Amino acid sequence: MSSEINGIALGMIETRGLVPAIEAADAMTKAAEVRLISREFVGGGYVTVLVRGETGAVNAAVRAGADASERVGDGLVAAHIIARPHREVEPILSDSGNQKK
Amino acid sequence: MANESYGIALGMIETRGLVPAIEAADAMTKAAEVRLISREFVGGGYVTVLVRGETGAVNAAVRAGADACERVGDGLVAAHIIARPHREVEPILDIAKKA
Repeated sequence: MSSEINGIALGMIETRGLVPAIEAADAMTKAAEVRLISREFVGGGYVTVLVRGETGAVNAAVRAGADASERVGDGLVAAHIIARPHREVEPILSDSGNQKK
Repeated sequence: MANESYGIALGMIETRGLVPAIEAADAMTKAAEVRLISREFVGGGYVTVLVRGETGAVNAAVRAGADACERVGDGLVAAHIIARPHREVEPILDIAKKA
């Protein structure tokens, strides 16, 4: 789960297709100090990548990622930032999410 | 898993895509005292998040969640509340959780 030291803000980019998602992930990690925590195949061709880090870094990363993925394939669906996700939300961010301890 | 002490009402939000679902989950848990019990990939890009709590809290949470996720990505599909799900329905909420 998110370690507070590395920042708690959450950045999300959703794309149609895997290629723009990978492009977004690459652009995000190159643009700022963020960690890629998850890649989800949502279904229906949607792919979501999640990053975490300091709010400013996540902001910069998501902007860069959204920009980059827009030009690739079927492109961007959603780009969003949550500066401080509620504690209850943490379990659904990690991989399969459904098993709550 | 209806834990009577936490309230039994059920709130559901379904979205197109994961990002609006997470935004809804965040808005719901921040808006009222509800527990997030499940996140489901329904298929076809639909994602559903389920919360439980007191009826009033679930009502407030679902409204806030629906509002928040409408503005994100492909947005909201459904927002619904069941104040007291029938006992027969409980297992399909649990199975969803363990799947």
